[in-house]
This record gives sequence, C-alpha cells and structure tokens, in this order.
Amino acid sequence: MDTKTQRDLFPGALEMMILQVLRRGPMHGYALAQVIQRTSEDLLQVEEGSLYPALQRMLKAGWVTAEWGVSVRNRQVRIYKILPAGRKQLEREISSFERMLEGIARVMRPSES
Amino acid sequence: MRWRRGRLKEEAAREIAAHIEEKVAELMEAGMPEAEARHQAAREFGNAMLIAEQSREVWSWGWLDRLGQDLRYALRGLRRDPMLMLTAGLTLATCIGANTTVFSIVNSILLRPLPYPGAERIYWVSEHLGREDEVGAGPDYYSLREENRVFEDIAAYDQTTVNWTGVEKPEQLDVAQVTASYFRVMGTQPMMGRYLSPEERGEKAPPVVVLSYAFWRSRMGSDPHAVGETILLDRVPNTIIGVMPQGFDYPNGTHIFRPLPMDEATQRPRSITRPLRSVSMLARLRAGVGPTRLATEMSQLTHNIRAEYPKEFETAGFLKEMSIHAEPVQERLTGDLRPALLVLSGAVGLVLLIACANVANLLLARAATRQKELAVRMAIGSHRRRIIQQMLTESVILALPGGLAGIAIASVMVAVLNAWKPLLLVRHPEISMDVPTLAFTVAATLVSGLIFGVAPAVAARGVNIHDALKSGGQMHGGGRGATRQSLVVAELSISLVLLIGAGLLVRSFVKLANKDLGFQAQNLLTMRVNLAGLQYAKAAGQKAFFEEVLERIKQLPMVRRATVATEIPLGDWWWLGTRLFQIAGRPPLPRAQMPRAGTVVVHRDFFRTLGIPLRNGRIFGYEDTQKSSDKIVVNEAFAREILPGENPLGQGLVVGRDASSQWTIVGVVGDIRGVALGAEPEPLIYRCTCQTDSPFETRMGVIVRTAGDPRAAIHAVEGQVFAVDRNQPVFDVKTMDERLAESLAPQRFHLVLIGTFAAIALVLAALGVYGVLSYLVTRRTREIGIRMAMGARPGEVRRLVLEESFVLAAMAVVVGLGGAWALTRYLQSMLYGVTPLDGVTFAVMPVLLVALAIMASMVPAWRASRIDPMAALREE
Repeated sequence: MDTKTQRDLFPGALEMMILQVLRRGPMHGYALAQVIQRTSEDLLQVEEGSLYPALQRMLKAGWVTAEWGVSVRNRQVRIYKILPAGRKQLEREISSFERMLEGIARVMRPSES
Repeated sequence: MRWRRGRLKEEAAREIAAHIEEKVAELMEAGMPEAEARHQAAREFGNAMLIAEQSREVWSWGWLDRLGQDLRYALRGLRRDPMLMLTAGLTLATCIGANTTVFSIVNSILLRPLPYPGAERIYWVSEHLGREDEVGAGPDYYSLREENRVFEDIAAYDQTTVNWTGVEKPEQLDVAQVTASYFRVMGTQPMMGRYLSPEERGEKAPPVVVLSYAFWRSRMGSDPHAVGETILLDRVPNTIIGVMPQGFDYPNGTHIFRPLPMDEATQRPRSITRPLRSVSMLARLRAGVGPTRLATEMSQLTHNIRAEYPKEFETAGFLKEMSIHAEPVQERLTGDLRPALLVLSGAVGLVLLIACANVANLLLARAATRQKELAVRMAIGSHRRRIIQQMLTESVILALPGGLAGIAIASVMVAVLNAWKPLLLVRHPEISMDVPTLAFTVAATLVSGLIFGVAPAVAARGVNIHDALKSGGQMHGGGRGATRQSLVVAELSISLVLLIGAGLLVRSFVKLANKDLGFQAQNLLTMRVNLAGLQYAKAAGQKAFFEEVLERIKQLPMVRRATVATEIPLGDWWWLGTRLFQIAGRPPLPRAQMPRAGTVVVHRDFFRTLGIPLRNGRIFGYEDTQKSSDKIVVNEAFAREILPGENPLGQGLVVGRDASSQWTIVGVVGDIRGVALGAEPEPLIYRCTCQTDSPFETRMGVIVRTAGDPRAAIHAVEGQVFAVDRNQPVFDVKTMDERLAESLAPQRFHLVLIGTFAAIALVLAALGVYGVLSYLVTRRTREIGIRMAMGARPGEVRRLVLEESFVLAAMAVVVGLGGAWALTRYLQSMLYGVTPLDGVTFAVMPVLLVALAIMASMVPAWRASRIDPMAALREE
C-alpha cells in the first residue's frame, strides 16, 4: 500500500489531468476530483485526497493560483485557476505524453517486417 | 516565514474538511444516512491526516523541517531517560576521547605537513651502495644536481657536534653542515640576517654560522643584534650571519648550521683511492612532477651515475645493486612510527565499535518498551522510513554529548602526552588538536550514532502493528533477543582480539625487559665528554686527559671502578665504526664479501667495570702498550659468525691495504646488547686505548660503577672532569637504568596504549554481558518461576543463566580467535621474541575472556535464583 504509486499513474499524470480540467474553467478541489473521476468513467481510481498535495505542488510551481470562494452548496472552498505558466506546462506535457504513447504503440504493434 | 507556513497548514486542513463536508452533503442528498456517508467520504478521501501533512510538506524545507521535528521529538524522549543518556554518554565519551587522542597523534605526526613552504615537495634522496644504505655518496650529489630534470634544487648535509666555549658553562652543540642550496630546498626565509651564500662552501669556507631559532632564543637571550657577533666553536671564532625562522627544526634538534666541508674537486672524478664522503641529501621536487615521472627519472639517474664510476668500483663490489631513490621526507621521518600508529588507530577503532554495540544494546532494550508507541505512529500513517529516520536522529543526538565530552577528554590526554613526552615521540612534532581533529571527532560521533542506531531502527522495521497494539506493551520478540545476543558476542570477540594483542605486547615486553644484557646494569653512571682543542688532536693528549680523569674519578669514595670507551652500551652507538677486514693467511676476498665488524675503542678496565664475562683468552692489561703489536678482543658473535668452529685466539685480521698491519685476537668476551635491547648482538672488535696511537675518538663515554645510587655521584664525577679541563663539556649524563628504560620506551608506549584500550574493551564487554543476561533473565522470569515451582533448586537456576553466558562467550572465543589470527600479523613490528600467533597468548586470553563473561553474569544469575515463583507466575 504505497501511496506514491496510487497518487501518480506515471509521474506528472495527475498534474496533467488537473491542468486539463482547469483549462476549461476555475474549479474547487472537490469538483476537480468529481470531474476527473467521472470523465475517466471510474477507470482511474484516484484517491481523492491525493489531489491536494498535487495542487500544493502546482501552486508552488506557479501553474495555478487559488482563491477562497463559495461552493454551490455555499461552503467556503478554495477555487483553483490555471495560470499562463500552467497552460504552457500542459502543452509541453501533452506533447511529451503523445510522444510516449506513440513510442509505446510502436513497440506493442506486431512486427512489420 | 513562520506565520506563512502556519497559515498554509491551517488552510490545507480547512480545505480538506470542506472537501469531505461537500462529499457527505452530496451523498446525503442521494439519500444515504449521515453516518454511512461520512464513513464512505473518509474512505474515498484516503488518510486525511497524512494528506494534510503531505500538502504542507510541499511548502516546507523538506528534510530540514523533518529533521527539526525529529530533533525535538528525540530530545523530549531522551529527557525522559536520563540513565540511558548517562550510560551512553560515559561510554561514548571514553571511547571517542580515546579515538580523538590517537587521531591527534596520527594527525600531528603522519598527516599534518611539515611546517615548511611546499613541504610535500621536499624529498629525501638516498642511495643503496654496496652494503651501505640510506646515505648518499659525495660525488653523486654533484652528478645528481647537474643531471636531474625533476628537482628544483638538491642539498647535501651531514651532522656533527662542536663544543661551544668561552661561556659560563661550555656546551656541546648539534651542528648541521649544509650546502647553500639547503635553505632553498627547505623554502624558508631567515628570521634575521641571511643564509649561506653559494661562495661560502667547502673546506675553505669562512667560519660563518646560522643559528636555529631555539638556540638564538634560549642561549643568546633573543639578542636582536646577534647577527655579526662571534661565538667560539671548538675554540675557533665563528661569525653569526643569520637566524633561522621559528618552527624550523630539521634535522631535529640542530643548534647551528654551517657550510658543509666538501669540495667538488676532492669528490670528482671518482677514484677508488680517495675516500668518498657520505652525505644526506634533500631535494625539492619541481611543481607538477608526478610519482611515475619521478620514479622513471630516478632509475634513469641511477643508470647514468653508475656509469660514471670507474671500473674498479664495480670489481670491488661497491656498485652491487646500486640504486638511488627519492621519498617524501615526511615519510622518511615517520617511517618507524607508521606501523605502530596504524595498529593503535585500528585498536582504538575496535574499542569504539564495542562501545557502539553496547549502546545499541541499551537502545534495543528501550525499543522493546517503545513498540507500542511505534505501532501507534505507524497506525496513524507514519512511514516506516520516516520512523527509522527519526530513530537514527535520536541515536545521533544521543551520541553528541559523548562526542563533546570526548573532545574534552582528548584535550586532557594530549596535554598529558605532551608533558609525559614518551621517548617514542620526542623526535616528532608536539601533539596538538586542530580543525581536522575536530572534524574527525564530529565524524566519529555521527558515524557511531548511526552505527548504534541501526540495530533499533532495523528492529523497528519489524514491528507488527496489530500484535504490538494488542499486547500490553510488554513485547519481547524472540528475534530481538537474538540481535542482542549477537551484539554481545561481537563485543566479546572484539575484546578477545584486543586482549590477545595486549597479551602479545605484554609477553614481548617481559621478554625484552628480562633479556640478559650481557653486563650488569645496576649502579652504572654514564656520560659523554667531547674533547675539543689543539692539545687533544693527537692520541697522546686524549690519553693523558682520560687517564687523569679516570684516576681522579677512582679516588671518589662512592666509585668502585671507572672506564672510558668510544661507545656507551644502550647509548646511541653513533660513532660505531664498521670495519671491513681480511683474515690473515687466507686468500683476500673481494670487497663485497669481506667480513665486517663494529669497532669500539675501550679503556683496559672496560670489561671489569661493566662486568662483561671473559669467555676465552685474556682481556687488556698493563702489558698492552703502544709498543706491543695490536691486540684485540672480540665478542662471541664475532667468533660464532666470522670464525665458526675455529679457535679465534691468535688469529690475525688484516685491516689496511698493507698485509703487515695486523690485529691479533687475544681474547673472546661475552656478547652485550649494546645497540638496542631487541637487536641481536653483532660481531664486535674491542681495541684498547692503551695501544692505538692514532686518535681514537674525541667523543668518549665515561662509565662509572658506583657503590650506591649512581645519581648521587653525578655531581662529583662531573666535577672531576671539569677539574682536569674546565672547557670540556659533559653531556648525555644518565644512569644505565635510565638508558634501559629509554630503550624500552617504544614497547612501553605501545603496551600502555593497547593495554588501556583492551581494558576499556573488557569493561564494556562485561557491561554488555551483564546487560544482556539481565534482560534474558527478566524475559524468562515466568519460565524460571515455573521451573522453580516444579522444584528446580536455586543452584540449578544459576547454572542455567551461567550456561547461557558460557555459550555466548564460547561463540565469541571462536570468532575472536579467528579475528586475532587474521589481525595480529600487523603487530609483527611491535613484537619481540613472540610470534604473532603465540600459542600461550592464544590459549590464555580466551580463558580469561570466558571467566570474565561468567563473572559478569553472576549477578543476573543470582537474581534469577531469587525469583519468587508465586510472584513470577502472577505477573502478566
């Protein structure tokens, strides 16, 4: 039960997904967790709590910013917003992620010779 | 920064709480009861406390923050356990103190560079020539200087003594005769005046001297106008031209530097009919020349210089195996101490290991009672790695007071060493502690902390949360008992290794101290007189002086006998001339195969005064005069090695080129241990002062046998010498017992140190045994209670415990003997008369160790036998 493997599918994956979701608009932590869970159709079992250390790292890196606001249920929550640095980071990650996928796909594809 | 981190901490907690509330609300909206909703929310969220912690950690200074936490926690824990602090502190203070002391010695002598600019580039250049070693031949100095491409400069020097007169108390001074390049090689600047100029050289050099700082300071009263003044050396006025800087002390103890009386013209071209001068050589290596380049160059130079010698040298065997080599001068100076210091370092390191094992055992005992605490911490989400980290921090903290106290102990020990000044260290720099020493101590402390922290930390890894939480905190895992026992076995084994080492040294010491000297050492007073002045340049003058001195000394009431000789047994044997000769009536041998023997010139009463037994023939008497032909007495080693199986009496030795100059053996006397206690007697020729008509030596030893304490006679005997000539200094005044003690000094030094280490090791090991058996008894209280309830007698219970300790000791004996077998060989150079695998030592010490282990377990055994079965069974 090592929390590390559960937090990251591969290093940076969780951050990439968070950035991707935040690109569509600011959101608070709980909603973020729900969106990621729902859109992945529960394929990714992410422990909800693991979002928070990741969010803190991203705050520290300056990819996102956070402000206290009010949720739909009128509860004090922190609302996260993507910053330009975060967008850039996301693009970098997506392209390297695609390269990685392509590489894996090539290896997995049956030999062409 | 602090307020910000405080805020972050609070925010993270608030955010997480909000998340869970949000989820609970959502689940309840979907119709779930609140309790269930809360449960599910918590489960899906994960370990909230851990996550809050991790979120905060993103902002913290990571390890530094954790370290701070661990430190605070450790301090709190240790404060609750002052006995542990005290025991561990004392143990470590002793051992770290001992380690620091030994390191200060090693550092001051072996590691710290000599106090000369670029000292690491100063090399000692020596030649292996014929059978002589470690000297340089005069002509080769000039060749080396011309031909080498690796040295900035090369210097030649030799050492002699002069009499300083014209002052209140005449004194003998140590002189280094040097080439002008000497000062360049050493790289220092004069404190005052100047050094020798290149023109001030050779036999016709003007009488100029450079004073050492110590001499200028103590004998000239730091006279600021010393330069330009004149001092009388061997009654010749010498002009002071300069003073060396403070700290310059090479060759060690030199008072005066003056030009080397050697001229190139008398040395080159080399000729077999001219004596070659022997000189010591120092050289300064060019910057950037590596060891390989140096080695290549030296073998090339050897080759070239060898070729410069005319053929006759080769045929005489003079160039056999000739080689010229260079080694850093510091290595050369410390060569004799190096092996001993390394052995001491190893031994004291082993003591520290034992200390670590002991403290580890203490910590294990503590860890056993802390299992529950650890389990709780793990249950609420602490990583095992984090807990191990924390435990290691704790053990390092525990080591710190020991380290600090160790520094204090070491500084006291260093002061004691410098005050006591064991003879072994006299020629070496003062022992001192410096930054590297402190760095060493800090490192030793941290490393010890980590070493003894490993065992409990590893044990913590094995904590089973469920079991630990279920039991009442009285956990005694079987595995941990085994760890503790193996630690004790390790301690005992290391102690045995040290014990065997100390035992070997004791046996060497006893053998050496009880060695038959070959003469009677009690009630002997010895001193030297160095004759200087024109009236003593010829043998007649010397003889007259000493005859008169002896006559006067013999008149003293406390004096039984008195004699003079060129050497004092167990003195330095500095002037001992080695002579090559042929046996008369035999075909001459080439030089390399010629027999050789040391030559001592003695007064006719020498053998009687010292009590050296006559084995064969006669000793010198009044019939031996200058007019009779040369008669000599030899020692047994001479007869044994040079004339084996023959009657030595009447044999002649041809000592010159001319077969007509012969010495005839008239007597054989017993061997004496003259050079050093440990050295085997070498062939020796005794000549008589009564016969020789060439000046023997100006530096004679006066040996007096007294009726009572020889120290009481010192003043009177000195007075008689001064009565004959006020200007002849008397020096090196010592009783033979003092010389004996000096010659045992290195062995005594090793013995005292290793013995102390072994003693510390034994005490620690005994404590270890006591600790672990007490623990085992506590652990088995119930079992023992049952046994006693079933009718076991106290004696049987005691035996049970003692058997346990016997088994531990027996295992340690096996391991320790193996360790000793592997390690004692490094003691070789410190041993005398015993082999490193000496049977007696290897047999006796294990018995001692087992006895000690049994003794250490007496108290736990007795305690076990006093267990009240009823109380034991009620417990738990």
